[in-house]
Parts: sequence; C-alpha cells; structure tokens
Amino acid sequence: MIPGNSAPVIVLNTNTQTDDGKRAQLANIRASRAVADIIRTTLGPKSMLKMLLDPMGGIVMTNDGNAILREIDVKHPAAKSMIELSRTQDDEVGDGTTSVIILAGELMTVSEPFFTMKIHPIIIVSSYFKAMDHALKVAEKIAREISVENHEEIADVIHSCIGTKFSSRWGSLIVDLAVQAVKAVFINKNGKKEVDIKRYAKVEKIPGGNLEDSRVLNGVMFNKDVTHPKMRRFIQNPRIMLLDCPLEYKKAESMTNVEMTKEEDFAEILRQEEEEVCKLCQAIMKFNPDIVITEKGVSDIAQHFLLKQNISVIRRIRKTDNNRIARVSGATIVNRPEELQESDIGTKCKRFEIKLVGDEYYTFMEECEEPKACSILLRGGTKDVLNEIERNLQDAMSVARNIILDPKLVPGGGAVEMHVATELTKIANSIEGIEQWPFLAAATAFEVIPRTLAQNCGCNVIRIVTELRSKHAEESKDAPYWGIDGNEGKLADMRVIKIWEPLVVKKQTFKTAVESAAMLLRIDNVVSGISKKEKKQGPAGNIEDAEI
Amino acid sequence: MSVSILGSRESGQNIRDTNVRAVQAVANIVKSSLGPNGLDKMLVDEIGDVVISNDGATILRSLEVQHPAAKVLVELSRLQDQEVGDGTTSVVIVAAELLKRANDLVKYKIHPTTIIAGYRLAMKESIQYIKDYLSVKTETLGKDAILNVAKTSLNSKLIGAESDHFANMIVNCVEAVGIVGPNKDVKYPIKSIKVLKCIGLSAKESVHLNGFALMTGRTAQGMPTSIKNARIACLDFNLNKFKLQMGIQVLVNDAKNLEKIRIRELEITKERIQKVLKAGANVVLVTKAIDDFALKYFVEAGAIAVRRVDKKDIRKIAKQCGAEVLITLMNNEGEEVFNESSLGSAEEVTEERLGDNDFIFIKGMKKSSSQTLILRGANEFMLDETERSVHDAICVVKRVLESKSVVVGGGAVETALSIYLDSFARTLGSKEQLAISEFAESLLVIPKTLAINAAQDACDLLAKMKMYHAASQSSSEEKKQEYKYVGLDLANGKVRNNLKAGVLEPTISKIKSLKFATEAAISILRIDDLIELAPKPEKERDGH
Repeated sequence: MIPGNSAPVIVLNTNTQTDDGKRAQLANIRASRAVADIIRTTLGPKSMLKMLLDPMGGIVMTNDGNAILREIDVKHPAAKSMIELSRTQDDEVGDGTTSVIILAGELMTVSEPFFTMKIHPIIIVSSYFKAMDHALKVAEKIAREISVENHEEIADVIHSCIGTKFSSRWGSLIVDLAVQAVKAVFINKNGKKEVDIKRYAKVEKIPGGNLEDSRVLNGVMFNKDVTHPKMRRFIQNPRIMLLDCPLEYKKAESMTNVEMTKEEDFAEILRQEEEEVCKLCQAIMKFNPDIVITEKGVSDIAQHFLLKQNISVIRRIRKTDNNRIARVSGATIVNRPEELQESDIGTKCKRFEIKLVGDEYYTFMEECEEPKACSILLRGGTKDVLNEIERNLQDAMSVARNIILDPKLVPGGGAVEMHVATELTKIANSIEGIEQWPFLAAATAFEVIPRTLAQNCGCNVIRIVTELRSKHAEESKDAPYWGIDGNEGKLADMRVIKIWEPLVVKKQTFKTAVESAAMLLRIDNVVSGISKKEKKQGPAGNIEDAEI
Repeated sequence: MSVSILGSRESGQNIRDTNVRAVQAVANIVKSSLGPNGLDKMLVDEIGDVVISNDGATILRSLEVQHPAAKVLVELSRLQDQEVGDGTTSVVIVAAELLKRANDLVKYKIHPTTIIAGYRLAMKESIQYIKDYLSVKTETLGKDAILNVAKTSLNSKLIGAESDHFANMIVNCVEAVGIVGPNKDVKYPIKSIKVLKCIGLSAKESVHLNGFALMTGRTAQGMPTSIKNARIACLDFNLNKFKLQMGIQVLVNDAKNLEKIRIRELEITKERIQKVLKAGANVVLVTKAIDDFALKYFVEAGAIAVRRVDKKDIRKIAKQCGAEVLITLMNNEGEEVFNESSLGSAEEVTEERLGDNDFIFIKGMKKSSSQTLILRGANEFMLDETERSVHDAICVVKRVLESKSVVVGGGAVETALSIYLDSFARTLGSKEQLAISEFAESLLVIPKTLAINAAQDACDLLAKMKMYHAASQSSSEEKKQEYKYVGLDLANGKVRNNLKAGVLEPTISKIKSLKFATEAAISILRIDDLIELAPKPEKERDGH
C-alpha cells in the first residue's frame, strides 16, 4: 500500500487489524456459513433442541432460531450481522427465524466460487436482487387465500408451523391455545385490523400440573392475592374498580414544612392524615365496588375501612396487567377516587376467584363478555419446558396473527422454495451476460431448505431432493405443491398432508436473506479493533474450522 | 548546531515524502468504494459495533487516522459532507493525486510556491470552464434529470439495486418541502425531511409519507388510535403535579392547610389540562412528562396525548400545523388561559404499528411541507447505511433543485477538464505550465479509479474518452459538441454519451470538490517542517 523503501509511515492506529480484498470476502462468507451451521439442525419436524448455558449458569433449551442466536456471543462482525437477521424476522413476523439464517448462509456460500472466478461482487449482488424479485412473484403466484372465519384451516396452518417445535408432542393443544388467544384480541374496527399480542395476550407460566391443563382464559389472571386474608376470594358478578393511585397518605410535591409548637398539633396532623385516607375510602365506597385493584400501595388503615365494607383489595399490580383488566372488565383506570363516576366501574367480568395453584395464590377474572384481552395459562413439568412452550406459543400466535392480517398461504415442507428454485432456473436461461451465473446460483440456494429438511429427517438426501426437483420440473398443475414430509422422509403433496405456511413469513424470509447477503457481499475491507485499547481478536477462532 | 528541540523534527524533502505517503495511504483506503462498482467497508470498533459503509466521510471518520497530514484529508471529506453531502470519496482521491504529482515536481526542483500558483490558476480555469461549457441547465432536461441525479448518487450504494424506488421517493420528498423565498427563489430546507428507521420488511418497502411521524406511542392505551380533524396543542411544560421551585419552603401552621396544599397541587394541573381540552384540543403533544393521574382526563375526553416529544420535533410540528409551542399558560394579566388560536390543525393523527414499534403520524397539516421517509431493512447496519445513502441523495437533489444546473458524471467532466487544461497550459510560458499539466493529469484519477473498480481496461477506456473530448474541444461542429458529454459506461466497459444515459451530478458538487481538493493539497504542500514535541516529562519523580 505504501510506496518507497524508507521507514513506514504510520497513518492509522496500529492496533487495528485490517482484512481486505478476497481475504475479507471469504472470511465473511465463512462466518455466515458458520452461523447457519449452528442452527441448521433445528429446521423441520425432526429437529433437535439446543441447550445453551448462559454465563450466569442458567439453561435455555430451545429450537427457536432467534432464541438460540440471541444467546450466542459471536465475534466476527459478519456473523453478528447474520444474527441480527433472525431478530428482524422475529420482530416482523415472529416465525421462520431459522430458515432466514439458513437461506442467507446458503446465498453467501454459493457466491464463493464467483469470488475465485473473479466475478465482480456488484454483479453478484444485482443478480441476487433480481432473483429475489422473481422469487417473490413466484411465491405470490402459488399462494392461495383462505377465509379468516375458517377456524379449521387456520388451525391447520399453525399446526404445520408448530409441527417443527418441541410442543408438537401435545398435538393440537398449542394450536388451539394460539387460535383462541388471537381470536380474543382481534379487533376489526372499520376495516382496520388490529391484533396486539404483545400487550393483550399474556402468557402466565405456572410450573407443575399437566400441560393438558393449559388453557386460554376467558378473561385474565395474575399472580396476586387479596391484601387481607379476611377479604372475599370468590365473587360472582363483581363490580370492579381500577385505580392507579396509592390508597395511603400522599405527601405534597412542594416542600412543605409544618411548624408545631404544641403537643396537640402533632396529634392533629396524625389525625389529619388518617382522615384523608378515610375520605379516599369513602369516595370509593360510594360506588359500592366488590373489588378494588390498584397499581400502587394500600395502607393498613385503608384496608381496614374497605374490609369493613366487604370489599376485596388487590394492590401493586403491573400497569400492563391493569390495562388488560380494564379491557376485559370494561372499567376505566381512575387516578383520583374523588373523581369516580359510575361509568368507571367495570361489570363485564362475571366471576372473580382467587385460587391456590402450586403454592402461590393467583387471581382469576373470568367469564367476561367479549373480552378484548386474555391470559394464557400454561402448566408443565419444569420451568425450562414451560419457557420453551411459551416460545412455541408466541410463534404460533404470530402465525395466527399473520394469517388473520393477511390470509394468504403457500405450501410448506420446502415446496415453495423448490418451486422458486425451479422457476428461477427457467428464468436464468433468458438472462444475458455474466449475471446468469449468480442468478442460477441464487436459484440453487433456495433448494437449501428442502435439502436441510431431508437431512434432518435422516433420509437419502440426494435421492429425495432430486426426486423433488423432477416433480417440480413437471408441467402439471400439482407441481408446485410437492414437498418433503419431514416426518416420513418422503415426498408428499402438501395439500394432502396440509402443510401450509403464511405467505408473509415466506416473503419476509426471502427479502431479509437476500438483502443481508447482498450487504455482506459488497464488503471488501474489514477494519476491526478501532480505538486505543488492547489488540482485539479478529474473526472468531472456531469459524476457520467450521464445515458444512 | 541548531537549537535543540525537545521532540523530533523532520524537514525538507523528507517531510514532503512522508506526507505524500500518508495521504496516499488514506486515499487508497477509500479508493475501492468509488463509483457504481465500488464496494463497501466493514468497520468494527473495540466493543464490536459494526459499521458498514460506502460513504468516504463515514469510513474515514471511523478510522482514527493518526498522521497529521492524513488528518487533513479526513477533515476534507468531512467538509465536503457538510457543504455538499455527496462526493466525499472523490474529493479525497483527487487531493491525494494532486499532492503526489506536486511532490514529483518538487523533486525536479520546482519551488512549491510555483506549483501552488499553478494549481490555483488551474483550479480557477477549470471552475470557469465547468460553468461556461460543461454544466447543463436542468430546464432543458426535464424532470427526469432530477431523478437521474438522485439515481446516480444512489447507484454507488448498497441500495443501488432499488435506486428507482428510492430516487422517486427522495425527489418527491425534496420537492414537497420547497419554500418560495422572498426573491422568488425556491429553498429546500432538508431539515424538514425526517428520516426514520424501522427494522423489518425489505428496503423496497421503505415509504414516503406526506406528514410528520413521531417514533413514540400514545401515552395511555385507553386513548383512541386515530383522530380525524385533529386540533393539536403543543406544550413545553410538565403536566406533573404542580411543584414549587427548589428551595421554596412552605411553612404550615395548621395541619388542615397541609392537605389543602396537596389537593391544590393536583388541581392546578387538572385545570391546565381542562383549559387545553376545553379550547378544543384533541391531540396534545408535550415535551416533558405527563403524570399518570392526568392521563385519565385525556382518555375521558377521547384525546391523544403524547409525552416526551423531542423539542426539535415539536417546534417543526407547531410551525407546520399552525400551533404555538407554549412554555406556560400564563397571560399578561397573570391568569392562566389557553386560547383557541394556539391550536394547530391537521387532517388526521393516527397511531400505527410498523415492525415492533409504534409510530404517531400527523397527516395533512395546514402548512404541510413536512415529509417523512420511513426506511425498512433487514438489520440495523443496513438501515444505518441506507440512512447515510438517502441523506447523500437528498443533499444532491436539493443542490440540483436550487442551483438548477448539472454536469455529466462518469468521469466526463474530469476528462474534459484534463484536455482543456492541457491545452491551456501550453499558452503559458512560465514554470506554472508544468504544474497545470500535472493538475490536468491528476484529474484523470477519477475515471481511472472508476474503471479499475469496475474491473475494466482503464487505459483503453481513458484513451477513447480523451479522443472524444479532444475532438469536441477542437472543433465547433454541432455533432462533435455532443462529445463533451462522453463518459464511462461501467457495466459494459464502453464509453457513451452520459447525458443521454442520465448519469448526472450537481454542478456545485463538482466545483466545490475541486476547490476543496486543491486547497487541501496546497495546504499540505506548503509544509516543509514537522516538529513533534515530546510530551512533557512527568513532574513527579518516583522517589529515588
């Protein structure tokens, strides 16, 4: 880089490590392949779980791509960027986190020969983008629309998505939970569809019991007990009042000093404080509620007053829980008890009950009219199992949400990817110039999904993938629907075994994978370890050894 | 024996060589990112944060260049970024080349000041030549020209594959923010364009919104998600419980009064809110906090309240919807009032969810000139790079719309200037002649680098281009005049008329980058001594 033969001129910080040209490109490719290899075995119905130990000693057991990669600490920048992908996928559609990484890794891998053939990266990138456009069109073409009202079909789709997960052992249980939960929080307000799983569908995990005891509540539940043991724990048709203020004496915000000269003054102040609390309680009692729930604290004296009126009190619940209760009971959250109105009282919830589950008390508010929020109660052997089931359930709910928002489906089981690959190969022949090569490579990259599926179920990969390819090459109407039955390791018509996936998930997978691969391919220089501290390690060590 | 200095000293030819080498090294770093076939750099800092960029200024800024002369170049690209917003890579490359050639001349015993004079003259001549002969008025080219300018800037970036989509968006966006100034000239304040990033979907799903977007949700879930015919109030004070200033103490003698103070605190805020709501406000934007107790009033009134809005944002919103940003409700008489006139209006305010974030959109404002671009992309690094590219393109479009003149890209201008300066040099009889011809030769580094990056035969293409440009300058034939627009077609490895192909850049960007590059080269060239003082010895000696 530096001409001349005198002493080298130090221009850059000497602590940096620079990789340029082909070295950087190949390192990026290897890094992304290594990431893909980590989670390759978690794709499909015969997938295996990963057990991860975090630095604190905690255990995560999962086969959710995002959950695995989130825990892994990688050093290579390209690998980091790959890991970000699964997060994007999770945020946007909530499913397909594994396939996006595998596809992106494959797109990188197939580009490697072009670097040795000295094809300009820009050409590779532009033909990848072209391939993506075509792939999206192909996927769109074989998609079919279903009716949102059709419960069974939605259940089928979720079933096929969840079929790959740990919880598939319990059959349709998770699927039913997901469908019910999403239906509960679905709001269709003048054509604007809203499904807010994050806020209104809460998963409560209680270790113990059987998984079969899990259910979606027609209402909400939370881990709280009444503040005083004598309060009622079971109420039919309660009047519910929600507060977000403390029921104790509040100090003023401004600095106030009280100057006391006589002893009586002191008593007076204490009395005053008591009186205030009493006034608060009276304001509440005027509306004759059966349950008072507040986000803040409740003083002993307030408890005493309310208990006398036979009112059950629950304190210190979370804001998010309170919002959900407001939704199911129809109550408004009130801050100042003296400003209560009759309309603020919620009566839509028909049954209030506190039950001892395991060794903790839980409040159940059930039998609500049209609840627009819900809690999902999960029971199961251990906490780790429950955590994994929760992740599965989140995926299932995302799938259900995606279908309700955009009810278009494509065949799963690698069928759509294989179809895309076949179609792209056909199109490739019509492309002129060097771009044809990378385009063709992108087409074959899509085959990685059926191939990995076949690999994971332990069948003869080459035979079955070839067979699938020939099925798709046929000009028949059924061609696009042939995929791999991951359980049997055979080819099957996806319409028959009912493996469907939402189109949005697939589209997002294609887009994210291609765009990120394109970004990484454009890099020709990696400068790492900027800044003064000690020399940093370059690419993570294990990447060199990684092989497919 | 000269007076000794505490530190090291380098002078004369030595230091010039060192400087040139340092500058050359910097230029080499960014060289491969020039042009439509340029590649990106990945920069990793010690914590492991990654920046992926094609933008010269960004790359150099992140690199922690240490050599003083090289730092000048880093500053140079930063300056170009501030002034023009685009062309940060080419300015560095030209400056380095100018310096290298100047150093060669010095070796032939030409005094640096002579070279400097020559360079200055050459710069002036070239700027004049660009203005007189090479620039093209956009009126003669139509709207496509502006789109093409945006595309040219975007083509070299990561989002180059979607340049059509982005170019359209950006041009619409910049045109929409135009304000007619007092002298009938249109200004395009690009600050009115807000660029938001949101992970998810693909770059192609980036959208352009006519209106303003805030990256926050509404404060309480009970509030409506959409309000038509919004009346907007912009408040720049707390809606917390009223609190006296620090240090003020209230001395209470009677315990009953203590309670009254407490209630009054709540009442003051409540009254304020009710005054605002009574005036008809149904969207309330607050720069500071809103207390939980106050939310209920908004929920009951069916109004959207948003807290912790950025101060810059609220000012922009206020300006465009016709609202007034109120620091207090106090009027001259010391009473608290909220006038209806302080409210602004918008057709619609909605909350929408994109990816995993909530956004508040304010659409159809009264004096709507505010535009929002929402960028989507696969991951954070990509979004950051997209934002930088979009910013460059926005700057370029703004320049063209304001100055209404463009030049042809793809190395055409540089080649034309080189030919022109070469012949101009021959009209001078002094030593400056040499400097000017070197200047002419230096400019060719741009088309050369472009060709090399695209893996094309640089010598062959350059010879062809030179031929065309020489023909256009030596003859006045109509047909040959067209030849001055001949530039590189990098995809096919040919030369072509880039005016027709739509490879355009703003004139002002070219002029400024020439100016900056020359000035930077000159300032480094003038150096003939580098004294680096050794750090002062520590005063405290360890005890021996």
